Formats: sequence, C-alpha cells, structure tokens
Amino acid sequence: MDWAGWALFGLVATAVLTAALITAQLAGLTRLDFPLVLGTLVTEDPDRARVVGFFIHLCAGQGFALGYAATFALLHRATWWIGALLGTVHVGIALTVLLPLLPGVHPRMASQRAGPASTAVLEPPGLFGVNYGIQTPAVVAVVHVFYGVVLGLLLRAH
Amino acid sequence: MTGGYERTPPRPLAPISDYGLLGDTRTAALVDGDGGIDWLCVPRFDGEPLFGRLVGGPDAGTFRLGPAQPATVVERRYRRHTATLETTWEVRGGRLTLTEGMVAEVSGRLLPTTLIVRRLSTDDSAVDAVVQFDPRFGVRHRRPRVQHRRQALVCQWGSLAVSLGSAPRLSIEPGRPTSITVSPGRPVTLVLAVAHREPLIHVDPAAAWDLLTEDEDRWRDWTAEIDRSLPFREYVVRSLLTLRLLTYSPSRAPVAAPTTSLPEDPGGVRNWDYRYVWPRDASIGVSAFLSVGKPDEAQGFLAWLLHASRLQRPRLPALLTLHGRRVPAERELPGWPGYLGSVPVRVGNGAAGQHQLDGYGWVIDAAWAFVQAGHRLYTETWRAIRGFADIVARYWQEPDAGIWEVREPAQHVHSKLMGWLALDRALRIADTHPLSGRRRRRWQEARDAIAAEVRTSGFNPTAGSYVRSYGSDAFDAALLVLPLLDMDSVESPRVQGTINAVRDRLSAGGPLLYRYPPGSDGFHGTEGAFLPCSFWLVQALARTGRRTEAVELFQSMLDHASPLGLYAEELDPTTGAHLGNYPQTLTHAALVQAALAIRDAPAG
Repeated sequence: MDWAGWALFGLVATAVLTAALITAQLAGLTRLDFPLVLGTLVTEDPDRARVVGFFIHLCAGQGFALGYAATFALLHRATWWIGALLGTVHVGIALTVLLPLLPGVHPRMASQRAGPASTAVLEPPGLFGVNYGIQTPAVVAVVHVFYGVVLGLLLRAH
Repeated sequence: MTGGYERTPPRPLAPISDYGLLGDTRTAALVDGDGGIDWLCVPRFDGEPLFGRLVGGPDAGTFRLGPAQPATVVERRYRRHTATLETTWEVRGGRLTLTEGMVAEVSGRLLPTTLIVRRLSTDDSAVDAVVQFDPRFGVRHRRPRVQHRRQALVCQWGSLAVSLGSAPRLSIEPGRPTSITVSPGRPVTLVLAVAHREPLIHVDPAAAWDLLTEDEDRWRDWTAEIDRSLPFREYVVRSLLTLRLLTYSPSRAPVAAPTTSLPEDPGGVRNWDYRYVWPRDASIGVSAFLSVGKPDEAQGFLAWLLHASRLQRPRLPALLTLHGRRVPAERELPGWPGYLGSVPVRVGNGAAGQHQLDGYGWVIDAAWAFVQAGHRLYTETWRAIRGFADIVARYWQEPDAGIWEVREPAQHVHSKLMGWLALDRALRIADTHPLSGRRRRRWQEARDAIAAEVRTSGFNPTAGSYVRSYGSDAFDAALLVLPLLDMDSVESPRVQGTINAVRDRLSAGGPLLYRYPPGSDGFHGTEGAFLPCSFWLVQALARTGRRTEAVELFQSMLDHASPLGLYAEELDPTTGAHLGNYPQTLTHAALVQAALAIRDAPAG
C-alpha cells in the first residue's frame, strides 16, 4: 500500500474537499460547514470551533483516505474514476448514515425531538442534510467525488 | 381495513378567541371550548394538517372530547404557569373537566415526538361524554388505513401513523362518535401519539399523564426564572410562555403563528399563511427574552437568525421556513371552505421575495441588545452584522415593501427609520468590535443622510408628524417606534407630534389602532385594528414620560385578550372579535416589550 502517498495526499484531498465546500457556502448553495459542525463537539465559539474542526476534519479525512488507499491496493489500480466511484459510496454513507446520526452524539446539536430544555443551538442536518439548504446533498456529493478523484489521481496502487 | 364513517351534524366553528393553544415547541394544536381540536399540523408547525376543521371544513378532521349533551363552560384556564389547559363544563347532574396538553420534553427518552394527553374527569356524579376522533391527513383530507391493535387504535397514511390509546380501554372508530360515561374517581385518559417516518411508540395512558405532570413542573421552573419585578407579570408570563410554545425547538425559530388563513376580514380574501418565521419577530424576541432574564432563549433566536440568513447573506430574507429555507410559493387550496367562508385558504407566502429594509434594523438592534446585555458577538456574527449594515448603507434609497408588506414598493418612512436604526446600532456595536475607518465613515454618512432625508421628505409640518411615505398625508402606526430610536430626542415635538397624530388619526376606538388608514393597501375588503400597534403605543408613551397613560392603555388592552390570555393579530373594533392568525407571536412579543417599557419608565 502507498503509505507515503496516503500520509501526504489524504491531507491534500481533505483540503480540496474543505475548499470546495467553503466555495459552495460562499456561493450560497449550502449552510453545511464540516469544520464548524465537528469543532462544536469541543467548543461553542464558532470561530475557535472552525479551527479545531478543521483539524478534526483533516484527521477524519486521513481515516477515510486509508480506506481509499487500501481499496486501490486490493484492486491493483488507482484511477480518477475509481476514486470518483469510491467518493460516491463515501457520500452515500455520509448523507444517509453519518449526518442523520450526528444529533445523537453531538452535545451542541438539537434533534428534531428537541424540547424547551434543550440548550443546543446547532440545527440538526435532517435527512440528506437538507435542513442546511436544499442543494446540500448535491454539494456534498460533488465535494466527496472531488476527494475521491484527487486520491485516485495521486495515490499509487502498490 | 378502513372503518365506516358517519356524518354527524357539524359543530359550528367557535370564535377565534375561544380557541386555546396546546403546544410542545415543535407543533401546536388549537382546541375550542367544546373540547374539539380543530387544528393540528404534523410533524411540525408547517407540516400538513391532521385535524384541519378550522379552515378546512367538516371533512378536514377533528378530535373532540367533551360532554355528550349541550353544556355550559363554567371555567377555562391554563394551570398556573404551565401549558396545560383545563376546561370545565356544567352538565346535567354534575361537572365534567377536560385537562389536556402536549408533552414538550421528549428528548433522551423513548417517546414519540408528538404526544397529546387528554383526560376527562368528574368529581360529582357519573357524566355522559363523547369522543369523536376523525383524523384526516393533508390537503385532501385523506382518511386513514385503520387497525385496532392490542395497545391502541392505529391510523396510517404512508409514512405517517398516529395511535390513540385509552384508559379504560375504549372501542373508538375514526369518524364515529363514541359515547362514554365518566365516573367520579375513574377518569378517562386518551393519548395521541404521532410517528412521522419512524416507528410508532405507544405510551401507556397513565405514564403519559405522568409525563404531562412532569412537563408542568418544567414550565413552572421556566416561568419562575422570569423577572419578578415585571408589571402585569401574570399576563407577561402567559405571553412569554406562548412565545416559547411557538418557538420551534430544533432550530429555535419563532413561528409567526401556528395557523394559516384565519381571516383578517371574515368572509374576505385577506387570508395568509403565517406558519413561517419573520426575522423581525425573532429580533423582537431577542430583546424581550433578554430583558426578562431569559438569555438562553435570546441567544437561540439570534443564532437562528444568523444561521437561517446564511444562504442569502448579506441580503436578509423577509421570511424563512423553520429551518431557514426559502418559503414555498403562495398557492390556494381548492375546495377548502375557509374559516366562516373566508376563501381562499392559502399555503406558502408571497411576501417571501420582497425587499423590506426594516428587517435589517430589527436584526441589528437585536444584536445591539445582546451586546448591551454584556455579551460579545462572535467574529462570525459581527461579520454578518457588518454585511447587513453594508446592504443598508448601499440600498437605503430604494423603495421597499415595508413592514406591512404592501405589494407596490414605496419610500416608506418607517423603513428609512429602521435603516437609520440599523446603521446607528451597528456603529454602536463597532465601539467594542473591530471596524475599518473607511467602513465606519460610510455608515456614518449613510446614517446622517437618512436622517436628513426623512426629516425633509418624511415629515409633514402641517400635521407636525412623520407620515407613512414620502409626500403622503397618511399616517402609519409603525412610526410609533420613533421614541425607541434616539434619532430625535424623546422630548422633540416631532416625536410627540407623531405619537399624537398616530393615536388620533389611526384610532379604531378605545385603545385600538389601525396600522394604516383602512382600505389603503390595495386589497379588497377591510381589516381590523392591528393589536401590536396598540402595544407599540404603550411603549412609545412610556418612553416619552407618559407612564400613566401607558399603564391605562396597557390595562385596556388586557381587556381585549382572549379568555385564556391569548391574542390574534387583529381585532374587530366593533364586535371585539379576534381576527387573523392566532395566537400571534408579534402581538405577544409587543405585549412583553410594552410591559418592559412600563417597568423601565420613571414613575409619574
């Protein structure tokens, strides 16, 4: 497996994903902000949360990149389109499993069942993250495909 | 299996003010004095109706629990400082009491998101009662697929299911009245649970009753935290509780009202969908909750405002959905007869695309209130506020739809005043938050230009008052915000003249005011007195040293509350009937603001 490539390009791919997501936010396409969502696990100050969340996101991205690198090694091939396919699977899991489960573990995220005693202020993402804007699923899909393509292009199969 | 339906003689619709609010901070039900829940949308305030008789007619569903024979309501009240409603009827041979509420706190426990608990009891002798459970879902009033299961009656419509459990066990058939006898010491409890895109969770009626009691304790604790020095505290507490019940907990968004199309003009076309969120309401809520000692609620409102406006920033939308999405386009529901024949019944709201300059003023003033209370804005929040102020500085000269959302834009004086407020408060916040010198100068120039233009073009020297729009002779009750701005001193003849002119020229009799001259908004028909305006007048009087008048006016307004202390948006000055969507967040927030102004006014 391409350990050196994983160590470097996992970071590159996550940085590309984050940059693409921020671009989409600035373009008014989505309110989803991974660094904020992850960072508020640790602190309620959104500015600090973004910094902390960015590093949590980088770590998570490295974890997922490990799966990509292992898959390329198993397939003995690493191409942009295999990366894109893996990105599609990755986003499917993120939208249908990870995001909807988040309110269950996030201390500052309300759930759809939140009541008057809830002091959580972060809005729950809802199914496919549509509470963060109707285009959110499309944006999340595109940035994860970017992530897969970057890894497919940069990682080696062996 | 679908149960048989029986057409029973329809109950007449009650006056709007006869309805009580049951809520769980995610959705709300309206129940009349006959024990009928005639309005409930699921799973949220802006969902589709499960019981829609209020504006959908007899085929739109209801859930009645009350005396079998005609009876007189002898007492109707909320249990003190809670959201639990009690209705007592005098019937032949005794008294029958319906106690009901929605369980608000369901987090962290295996409970349905929507849970309504209703209990009939009697102290005297056995009383005949009736259960009429007729759920119809959606705009087509669809009948459910019905199953009688061991625990409860279950009604299903695809991804939505509701269960009705009872103790003692009753044989209830949807759409058919079920006769029951309530005996002393043996209350009848019904529990309605709703599941939307999740499995049903059955709750034992006795356990549900305990949950409602626990919720009552939580509401009492919540209200105990409210400033004890407030004047008219009981009324203010009821308004704050209503505001909290109308705040959607998952996003902290305050819904304008839980209903659609309750008419401003009975029999007319002024029927609008208010199940959305106006940033103006949220902003007023920030100040109201901050000032009564509820900073968490204020912070929640501010967080929602900034989160919801994120997609369209730096533009501030006039209104948003509960989750900050674009409000659906306005459409009419064919076949819905409306409340007292007031058609069309509408869903969605056409004001969503309007440019309303005043919104920026409300939002930035809320942020200023937050800073004044000793909080510091996060960098992101301040960035958003700067963006809003930039928009005001750039576009304040453009005509807008104004606070009253007229469909023909104009140079509204109130909008300009709120634009001035936006820039002034942004500059005040900048005293403790970083701002470039160039931007500061731009805001100062724009603020001063607004003041100069409004004093020239928005003031009628003959009337001695500011007017509705440039060159107009008409008045506007929204101008009562003037003393709160500090643009002109509160002793200034301009301020006093405007208060007096609005009070005289827009009077609807007694303490009531029209928001603008009736019949001047381009819609057919007329409308009633606009209740928030009267509370703004109280606030204006209190702020300008006329406390005694303010107190008298406030007391008169309390006489116009519904028997349960709730307010709609408007009131018919002739009949005293409540008009428009109900209960109304803006009216209750204005009531709280008025009481706060009285509290803070020097005695005399």
